Amino acid sequence: MSILEYNGAAMIAMAGKDCVGIAADRRLGVQLQTVATDFNKVFAMGPKSYVGLAGLATDVQTLKNILEFRKNLYELKEEREMSPATLSHLLSTLLYEKRFGPYFVEPIVAGLNEKNKPFLSAMDLIGAPVQADDFVVSGTCTGNLYGMCESLYRPDLEPEELFETIAQALLSSVDRDAISGWGGVVHIITKDGVTTKELKGRQD
Amino acid sequence: MGDSAYSFSLTTFSRTGKLLQIEYALNAVANGRTALGICAKDGVVIATDKKLPSVLVDTAHVHKMETITPTTGFCYSGVGPDYRVLVKRARKSSQAYVRMYGDIEPISQLVKSTAGVMQEYTQRGGVRPFGVSLLVAGLDGDGRPGLYQVDPSGAYFGWKATAIGKNFVSAKSFLEKRYSDDMELEDAIHTALLTLREGFEGEMSADNIEVGIVKQDGKFQVLTPEQIQDYLDEAT
Amino acid sequence: MAFFGPESAIGSDILDIGSRKALTKRQRGIGVDLGVPGQFDVPNVPDPALYCRSNFASACGNADAGQEVKFAKGTTTLAFKFNGGIIVSVDSRSTMGYYIASGTVKKVIEINPFLLGTMAGGAADCSFWERNLGMECRLYELRNGRRITVAAASKLLANVMSAYRGYGLSMGTMITGWDETGPQLYYVDNDGTRLKGKYFSVGSGSMYAYGVLDNHWREDLSVEEAIDLGKRAIYHATHRDAASGGINNLYHVTADGWKYIHGIDVNDMHYEFAEEKKNAMSS
Repeated sequence: MSILEYNGAAMIAMAGKDCVGIAADRRLGVQLQTVATDFNKVFAMGPKSYVGLAGLATDVQTLKNILEFRKNLYELKEEREMSPATLSHLLSTLLYEKRFGPYFVEPIVAGLNEKNKPFLSAMDLIGAPVQADDFVVSGTCTGNLYGMCESLYRPDLEPEELFETIAQALLSSVDRDAISGWGGVVHIITKDGVTTKELKGRQD
Repeated sequence: MGDSAYSFSLTTFSRTGKLLQIEYALNAVANGRTALGICAKDGVVIATDKKLPSVLVDTAHVHKMETITPTTGFCYSGVGPDYRVLVKRARKSSQAYVRMYGDIEPISQLVKSTAGVMQEYTQRGGVRPFGVSLLVAGLDGDGRPGLYQVDPSGAYFGWKATAIGKNFVSAKSFLEKRYSDDMELEDAIHTALLTLREGFEGEMSADNIEVGIVKQDGKFQVLTPEQIQDYLDEAT
Repeated sequence: MAFFGPESAIGSDILDIGSRKALTKRQRGIGVDLGVPGQFDVPNVPDPALYCRSNFASACGNADAGQEVKFAKGTTTLAFKFNGGIIVSVDSRSTMGYYIASGTVKKVIEINPFLLGTMAGGAADCSFWERNLGMECRLYELRNGRRITVAAASKLLANVMSAYRGYGLSMGTMITGWDETGPQLYYVDNDGTRLKGKYFSVGSGSMYAYGVLDNHWREDLSVEEAIDLGKRAIYHATHRDAASGGINNLYHVTADGWKYIHGIDVNDMHYEFAEEKKNAMSS
């Protein structure tokens, strides 16, 4: 059994028209045992950039702290906000620094850049990045998530439509995965701000 | 070096509270060839005299203008070999930045880290301060042009226009008269050449000066003698 | 049925592969004497039991994690006796690894109008052998003119499990029913274990169900209370156990045979019980 599947997770980031959305489930489990249904795995790294960390929960929290620390240091030093592209690159570098003893985390990064255009990236646990302009997924049911995103995604969705698409893709995916689900959270990022909505999901 | 009998710092306070080594370093800078720069609204120009002690030296292989990042360049006044050390360190810092963030190091960061190196050489054991002042021309993270001066003490300043090295006082007062806030890069290049000629010993030509420019949304480039010649021709 | 003799020794079944003896065996067809190894084709290797065990084992737990062939399993099932009869309550999720293969599986096998079997472990093993048990029970009825006792039926199944011990079968089942001796409940698994008891729970979610049963089970539950207990125990198991979920199917067994009570989506139960808790707290 892969250690990446120890706690269970499902997450999506998808681009719309001048907006991006990022969503994740809420479960924290120990293999088959559901321990918590209010666990956070998506974190705000600025007003317009978010990172989602799927994988081993202890590493999720550690890496979130390290990334936040490095991002704060950057912003103090450079007196500017860190763009999602830079955030993604930094994260990738941090992960490769632990090439031979990695954090068991597969992150996704979503945000709007300086020109308020969508940025999406995903990477593996040692930081090999993939950039996409439609959607990225991560977690224990990527097969399900890809299937849903491939069929529901349309280019240039407005924020409301984007929310609906992401929410449906996530909920349908986790209903076919044993170790993710139990509710979800969706953040829609636009140039005017972020709307966060909780999703009610199946409780089994 | 750190363990040797001479591992104490050579830069120590005098009774009057001065760091004489730094003042001597500044003297070395003031004896160096003139370098000057102007920050226009759409770019920056830095220019320097590279007159050499003998006509036998091949000027084509003397470079005082160095590219550090794609958008930032250095020139200096003072002790040449010391300058090379700083260029090497700055390039390394900028590459480390690219490695970490996947982005070009903004001029403000580059200046900060280079000034950090220079400060370290005023405090560390077994070393002496750098005998150079730097002029740094480049772009900031948001693409705004910037011109900085970094001194041997590690102090750095942002300038609209400045000059260092021999005759820097008169060059600066010349620039003060010529500078205006809405200056464009082309005007700035002409002004820079004019200022350089002002205190020039002998005939100024495309071969005995160097000019570096960076345009907003562009890259730092060292002008070729042909390009410099064109500007000189326009001026006359 | 010849249980003893050289043919019944484990592994002896492959010694005649390709021979005339094997052909005649095949011509007899499946349907009789399945309880004896040798009726199925087995891999042509020196130790077929070992080969099966290491390649198609679907034993309880995660023994098949590194295996190419993974079996559909992961479950919560329970059954308990009380003064009003027997309650059999199960979930309906079927997983292959962490993938949910189905959310609407029938895990209670209706062997005959008086016998129920539950399904935990390998789905194919359970349904095949309990179907086979149904056949044996019917043959018993025809031969003897009376219904088989639950004790005897469960023993037939346990005998098959013993005969195939080591072949990697996966089955954890509860055989329940009402016979001349009253309500009966047996647990039978692939190790050949056969236990008689007041209440059992089987599957990956059984610990959660046991928690509820241990707390609330009484001999003198009313039928209504018993149904509610069976429902709650499964709900709590599906909530905590990732490999259990879907629909709660519940049966009540009485002297008149079994009766299907309900099939409720456990997700609806979650909100029903949450509401109940809220009301209890405010009053």
